[in-house]
Amino acid sequence: MINLKDIVVKFGDFTALHDINIEVKEGEFFTFLGPSGCGKTTTLRTITGFIEPAEGSVIMKGEDITHVPIEKRNIGIVFQSYALFPTMTVYDNIAFGLKIKKLKKDEIDKKVRDIAKKVDLTDDQLQKAVSQLSGGQQQRVAIARALVTEPAIICLDEPLSNLDAKLRVQLRNELKKMQKDFGITSIYVTHDQEEALTLSDRIAVFNKGFIEQIGNPNEIYNHSATEFVCNFIGDINRLEDATVEELNKRGAKLDPKKHHYIRLERIHVNSKDENMEKFDGTVESMEYYGLYIKYTIRLATQTVKVIEKNDGSTPFGVGDNVSIAFLVSNIMSYVPQKGATDAE
Amino acid sequence: MLNEKRFDSGKLLHLLGGFFFAYLFFGFMLLPCLNTLTSIFTVKTASGEADPWAVIRFFLSGSMKTFVWNSLKLALCLVVTVNVVGISIVLLTEYFDIKGAGILRMGYMTTLIYSGVALVTGYMFLYDSDGIITTLLINSFPDMNPNWFSGFRAVLFTMTFACTSNHMLFLRNAIRGIDYNTVEAARNMGANPFKVLWKVVFPTLIPTMFSLTVMTFITGLCAMSAPTLLGYDSINPEIVRLAGSSVADESFPQARAALLSIILATFTIVLLTILSSYERKGHYLSVSKTKAKLQKQKINNPVANVLAHIYAYVLFVIYMTPVVMIIIFSFQTYSAIRLKTIDFSKWTLVNFIGQQDYEYLTARGTYKTRVGSISGVFSNADTLGGIKMSFIFSAVAAILAAVIVVVACTYIFKHKKKGIALEYSLLFPWLLPTILICYSYRVYFNSSEVWYVFGNNLYYGPNVRFLIIMAYTVVKLPFSLRMIKAAFYAIDEELEDAAKNLGASALVTFLKVKLPIILPSVLAVVALNFNALFTEYDMSATFASTYGTSYAMVIQAMCLEEGLYGYNVNASGRRCASTVFIMIVSGLILYLVYGVGARDLGERLIARDKRRKRIARIKALFGKKTDEVLA
Repeated sequence: MINLKDIVVKFGDFTALHDINIEVKEGEFFTFLGPSGCGKTTTLRTITGFIEPAEGSVIMKGEDITHVPIEKRNIGIVFQSYALFPTMTVYDNIAFGLKIKKLKKDEIDKKVRDIAKKVDLTDDQLQKAVSQLSGGQQQRVAIARALVTEPAIICLDEPLSNLDAKLRVQLRNELKKMQKDFGITSIYVTHDQEEALTLSDRIAVFNKGFIEQIGNPNEIYNHSATEFVCNFIGDINRLEDATVEELNKRGAKLDPKKHHYIRLERIHVNSKDENMEKFDGTVESMEYYGLYIKYTIRLATQTVKVIEKNDGSTPFGVGDNVSIAFLVSNIMSYVPQKGATDAE
Repeated sequence: MLNEKRFDSGKLLHLLGGFFFAYLFFGFMLLPCLNTLTSIFTVKTASGEADPWAVIRFFLSGSMKTFVWNSLKLALCLVVTVNVVGISIVLLTEYFDIKGAGILRMGYMTTLIYSGVALVTGYMFLYDSDGIITTLLINSFPDMNPNWFSGFRAVLFTMTFACTSNHMLFLRNAIRGIDYNTVEAARNMGANPFKVLWKVVFPTLIPTMFSLTVMTFITGLCAMSAPTLLGYDSINPEIVRLAGSSVADESFPQARAALLSIILATFTIVLLTILSSYERKGHYLSVSKTKAKLQKQKINNPVANVLAHIYAYVLFVIYMTPVVMIIIFSFQTYSAIRLKTIDFSKWTLVNFIGQQDYEYLTARGTYKTRVGSISGVFSNADTLGGIKMSFIFSAVAAILAAVIVVVACTYIFKHKKKGIALEYSLLFPWLLPTILICYSYRVYFNSSEVWYVFGNNLYYGPNVRFLIIMAYTVVKLPFSLRMIKAAFYAIDEELEDAAKNLGASALVTFLKVKLPIILPSVLAVVALNFNALFTEYDMSATFASTYGTSYAMVIQAMCLEEGLYGYNVNASGRRCASTVFIMIVSGLILYLVYGVGARDLGERLIARDKRRKRIARIKALFGKKTDEVLA
């Protein structure tokens, strides 16, 4: 559907994107994930045409669109700020692109009302000013405006980041449902890993202008390709050298030159599983989340964070003596990567 | 192919734009003013020899210094009096809990709707040797000096109350922006309201007060209408007098005028440099995230409370008397005005509209009738001509300035680095007193040797109208730029991207997306500029051409020729009516700008709904009535 081939983007002396290669398939929900300043928005803006790459090409449906002007690309975009025109009504905002295309009045009206119905905007709301709508309604207007011209692709640049936590989760679900219903190829930019994991078919993780990994959510989370990815996605424990040494004494065969990690939910407290390696420790602190409880446990060699489902058993208190257990096969190992651990 | 073509038309547009702005800057700002500067040093003695230092010597030895000292004296005194009155009225209406603050505020704000010549003539009408109030006072105190209102005292008194508009606009905003939680915190720690005022409130107002002080000082230095009308020898009236004088009457008047205007410009430049370097240091901004709205402070000491109330209402009376008297007397007959007494039995509209004949006794003992010598503002050819002239000049200049600045701003925001030169060139007139610009135009373009206007003498005959419009436009560029640039900042860059993404070209994006956003500000700038220019006196008086007699010049003339030989019998009444007309126009403009213009689309839609409902209700009511009638 859309192909980025060896894209390089430079701002003066600064190279913002190095050799970006991505292929997004028809109907796919594809996410660019990464910390701020990693190049994900730059990549998106290269696709929409706001930025012209120094090298490489953008291919859409087999056609090279690298130098096609923005307005001729037929790629919709929903901006972080929604960028709704404040001097126009909701109706005029949605109709803007159709008017530019010089469609007939009744055709515009039909299309606007159709799309408004699909994104749950009432006729009454269509006549309002943008400022009279709530954040969630504004987002739906932005989506309707981007979709009404029937673009081949829709790009979403952190569209949920201006909303409060609850609305964010709610709209995230609505967004996914809408994408399914419309069946439109979507490219989504976010720095929120939870959003990326729940929404995407595939994710590209960006770091400092490079792509670290492309894969589906499970691959990204459970088989992080690089140290940066495993640190950026989810919470994780780095095993310190003393712990690694202890594990190797028990026959684990971990390469001491590498960095070793294990996810919080792969460690269990007071487990009786025979296959797991066990360490004794004391509970240093507990954070109560309701759905789960996060413990910080001091071992002889280091402290680790552990998550336990709040399943009705009595929680451990600070100072309790416990043991932790995990499978060596759940340890992820990486050749050390500079700057990988300060991602968060 | 397509891209190349676009590139070329863009380049052509840039070239044309660059040429236009260069022409404007060099042709109508820099060269005329440089000419003024050099004319000081190209003086020739009576024998025709060049004597570059003649004017300077003349200045150092002669009486010319007096004008500079007088202006400085006025400026310094005004800084004190205007700040005292300005700060008082803002505190009395916004900080302290004074009964009737709403009405007081209206009174204090009247200077926003009438100023300049209209205001000065209003004050003269009251306080002149035969003014209403002076007459009243002399009836009670026969020993009083009837000429108390003249010269320095009169100018200081008038300008003290006339120049508080900026305080009412900016200091009021500053005080309303104070975080009330800081006041509460100070009260909580045991400070009384006056202590809070001094230790917490004032320090946050210092930047604004500093700016206001500099602005007041410049206003004092550049004062024109008050000294001219009330007779005070300050710089500007002297420049205008010298500009119209000839070598036959006195030595090198033009070069002296040039020197005086350069002195004025130097003062202005120094002061503005101080101001901007101070502003660049940054302001005390509130650090709180949520600001609490300021609540009025009650004065607990009963004596202080009563004194504050008395002070507030005395100021109110001073502000309101001219306004009320002018409104009343604009509906009075010429005889009532001449006797300075209100005749409650006779009201007339003749000062506004219509004509009457005037019968008077000649020296021969016969009665003579002057046909139509009593006439209203809108029935008097001269006044109407002035209104028409000022209306056209101000409207054209206000629109021109706005268009130039909008075009400049689109460039400035696209080319941040190259735009700086353009921005500074448009701010240039801010450094120069308006009188210097007008004087320079008058002298420089009064010649058929200016090649870039194709050798036309722009001061000659009706050409001067073009020159006045150019002067009006150039003078209003800096203010327009500051205001419209602020509006451009409000355009989210993503909006432009969004429009382009939806298929709009650069031109469509500008017309449909950007322009509607900045339009309220642009219209506000046009309206405010029009408002200021419509009643301006300083500039048109400097040009002093019969082809460019502005409205304010007509009003000023009405003071001089009242009732001579049975002509212009109701000049004073017409002047009052003129001022009422100005107040209505200005009030309307301010209402449109700050009342209607400040609403966003949402507020406008709500207002429209309300209006529709109201109309529907009225229709329903009438529908019912007709039904009842039919039944």
